[in-house]
Amino acid sequence: MGLLAPWFLAGIAAVGLPIWLHLLKRSKTDPKQFPSLMFFEYRETSSVKHRKLEHLLLLALRALMLFLLALLFANPFIRRSGAAADGKRLMVVAVDKSFSMRTGTTVSNRLSQAKDEAQKILSGLKPGDSAQVLALAGNVQALTQTVNDPAELRAAVNSIQPGDSRASFGELARYARTLSEAQKIPIELHLVSDLQKSAMPPGFADLRLNPGTTLVLHSIGNAEKNWTLENVVAPRRIYDPKRVKLQAMVTGYGTPAAKRTVTLKLNGRDLQTKTVDIPENGRAQVEFLGLEATYGFSKGEVRIDSADNLAADDHYNFSVERLDPRKVLFVDDGRHPRAELYFRSALDSSGDGGFQMESMRPENAAGAAFTNYAYVVLNDLSSVPQNLESSLQHYVNGGGAVLVTLGPSAAALPRVPVLDEAIEKSSYAGREGERFLSIVDIDTGHPALRSVERFNGVKFFQAIHVSATKSRVLAKLNDQTPLVLERTIGEGKVLAFASTFDNVSNDLPLHASWVPFIAQTALYLGGGGAEQPVNVPVDSYVELRASDSKGAAAEVQDPDGKRALSLDEAIKAKNYAVNREGYYEVKTASGRSSLLAVHADRRESDLSVIPKETLDLWRGTGTNDPVPGTPGAASGVDAPQKPYSLWFYILLLLLGIAVAESIVANGFLRPAAPARDDTKQNDLKLDQTLSKVS
Amino acid sequence: MQQRFLDPSVLSGISNLTLVAQTVVDGFISGLHRSPDFGFSQEFAEYRMYNPGDDLRHVDWNVYARTERMYLKRYRGETNCQVTILLDASRSMKYTSHKIDKLEYARYLTASIAYMAGLQRDAAGLIVFDDEVRQFVPPSTRQGQLARLLHAVEKAEVGTRTDYARPFAHLREFLHRRGLIVCISDFWEKPEDVIKTIAPLRFHGNEVVLFHVLDPMEIRPKFDDPVLMEDLETGATLEVSPDYAAKEYPAKIDAHLEEMRSKSKGNGLDYFLIDTSRPLDAALREYLAARGGRK
Repeated sequence: MGLLAPWFLAGIAAVGLPIWLHLLKRSKTDPKQFPSLMFFEYRETSSVKHRKLEHLLLLALRALMLFLLALLFANPFIRRSGAAADGKRLMVVAVDKSFSMRTGTTVSNRLSQAKDEAQKILSGLKPGDSAQVLALAGNVQALTQTVNDPAELRAAVNSIQPGDSRASFGELARYARTLSEAQKIPIELHLVSDLQKSAMPPGFADLRLNPGTTLVLHSIGNAEKNWTLENVVAPRRIYDPKRVKLQAMVTGYGTPAAKRTVTLKLNGRDLQTKTVDIPENGRAQVEFLGLEATYGFSKGEVRIDSADNLAADDHYNFSVERLDPRKVLFVDDGRHPRAELYFRSALDSSGDGGFQMESMRPENAAGAAFTNYAYVVLNDLSSVPQNLESSLQHYVNGGGAVLVTLGPSAAALPRVPVLDEAIEKSSYAGREGERFLSIVDIDTGHPALRSVERFNGVKFFQAIHVSATKSRVLAKLNDQTPLVLERTIGEGKVLAFASTFDNVSNDLPLHASWVPFIAQTALYLGGGGAEQPVNVPVDSYVELRASDSKGAAAEVQDPDGKRALSLDEAIKAKNYAVNREGYYEVKTASGRSSLLAVHADRRESDLSVIPKETLDLWRGTGTNDPVPGTPGAASGVDAPQKPYSLWFYILLLLLGIAVAESIVANGFLRPAAPARDDTKQNDLKLDQTLSKVS
Repeated sequence: MQQRFLDPSVLSGISNLTLVAQTVVDGFISGLHRSPDFGFSQEFAEYRMYNPGDDLRHVDWNVYARTERMYLKRYRGETNCQVTILLDASRSMKYTSHKIDKLEYARYLTASIAYMAGLQRDAAGLIVFDDEVRQFVPPSTRQGQLARLLHAVEKAEVGTRTDYARPFAHLREFLHRRGLIVCISDFWEKPEDVIKTIAPLRFHGNEVVLFHVLDPMEIRPKFDDPVLMEDLETGATLEVSPDYAAKEYPAKIDAHLEEMRSKSKGNGLDYFLIDTSRPLDAALREYLAARGGRK
């Protein structure tokens, strides 16, 4: 709050209060007795003369008290140059260790040059100056505290290892702002970096530096041509190796048109090699068909012969898992043959054929080993045996998934099996008015409903109205009947579809959205869908457990094969950040294992440099000087003008005046002192008189 | 003449009125006894030859025994002078701006006059009044009269408003002999009303003396700020500005006093303004001197 805080300053108007009170007091004097008012007359006297202020000292003290009180709330401050007066400064050396700093030869790359430059900067450190060394990548890592020991600072610079993250200058500016506010002394920020354009934040405002922070840029390297594998699209699971299609995108930044050789490798073995023509400064796609992977997880890699200085981005990791098709248990009482037919057809038609349907009667299903199935479908059952439901609940708690469809048979049930929500009624499309119901509200961001085109054109004639007290509604009909509900139970999940799959209660199986719906649902419930990708960039987070449940341990092995989690983290951590390129073996708390392929952020491959004008603007944000070097530019480090609050002194003054006011007021309010006691003197006079009389 | 003025505040320290009167009167009598004009009215003046028809009671038989001639004794005043003191005890008399209020001052004055009358063996009486006659001690020369008078003076308490008509009507009821009437009041009435009420007494051959007792603040009030004034007798209030009190009021009160003085003189009344801040004996001495001079 500054001095001109208007509302608090408005409180100064209260100074008029004591003046008014003093005037009021005067006009309400107690009557003074007089023998007769014969010769007195009422006269209208001027208010100025009449309302003469009395006790001016008391009035002044009271007015001053109120003024100071208002001022205290306004919290005035003065701008004072903090510790600049004593000439102290803080040198901060930030060394960029992002992925692009690997550019160069094995003998000398940009990072080693940056470290040398940082050492030179530190050698200029004056005695008494303190400094701090930072490593900049996706976030800012402080390698030292603010120290003035050159040896410690040099050791910190030497310890910087190349990273695989993308540099973020926005993070560096944010750190500098925080540091400036905490230290309150001028900061000299040295950034040793290749000043990649991709390190800029989306908005220039994020680069803002506080006044008093001087940015000194040390550019390492220049813009270079660079070819890179921008992306590889590979399936996560392979069920039929011959049906696998793998796409790789080769991109050139600042490159001439050239031919490049692209090699597909699996577990270190070259599988296929192709040559691709890459246009000047453009990109080209390479497609590989078939991927002969062995059962289990495989470490895949696509590699190009780039012949550029950044060899680290010439390969792209991916991971695949070879599996037999997973079985889906379709529990039906035999009264819905068409539903079974439609479901099986949709499942067989979808994607890579990763799922096979197996049908079973409810009474038999109770004894089935559900863990052998990707997920279980309960298709419009009129009754669910108790042991079946309890087995399914146990299965879901342990990480399994169930899809429940509700139709005329299920309408008789009091509650939806497993989902445990009350069935209220059947919703029918009336013969009058609307002839059918349609979807009005759908969560298209949900993995199961992502490609269903909002069920456009699908007519629903009957749906079961379920109260959604514990579940999340993913889609609703136009009469507000929840159509798709989801509930997470333990480590698993249950999806309910409040209509049937048999083309009777709706015509969904005849629409284009049917197959995607079944396929997406299968991927979502059966695993391997989009719920957790296995090919991720550096600095991504891997989900280790779905809920806060403890006990079941998660496991992460880093690219070196070492356990990345401590025992405590293994049972508590909900996610894990992957910060290196390579393959991570992850086992989540629900028991699902995966091989995670982590690759560097490909934006780092664009080695173009930030324009000089932009860098000048950035430098200008810290010194209140738009462009250093222009006439009038401040030389050296500006002393930061820090607001220095005066509230404490005002409070002290206010207390002092309050005490003075009490003393003065006490003097005024004290009853008039009795007249000087003349008794003794009078007695003396009387004695003299009496003696003369006698 | 020995100057020995008594501060009223000193007199207020003496609880006994007799002592107050003694202190006041004896002092200045001892200083003034050689004055040929001294005395109220009972002092011997001359002898004259008896003429037939004169009252034989006034014949000095001692002279006749020695000289066989009949002479009549002549006095300056009436023989057996009757002194009646009218003491105003209205509420306005309670006002004071210093240590002693007007009523207290008037008490001392009454006591002093009564004491002087006693010394001269005159019959002294007292009427204490406000709007009614509150106390009445008939004039008498009996022994203990002074004590009765002083007791009545001591008992005099402030009453309500002043009304001169009633006490003077009462006085006329029992006043069959001529004498001296002393009225002690602050006379907060119109002078013409006061004189109109009192003057008839003069027509019966009485000598009337008016002691106008006022507090100095009543003559020259001083306020620094506007004040709300309350009339002690009526309770009416009025806001008064210092300007008025400093400029217009003095003119009005001066005119009032002058009117009192002139109207009194015009009607053959003795009028004396007494400021309660002045020494009582000095005021009394001034009165007696002036009175003597007039005679």
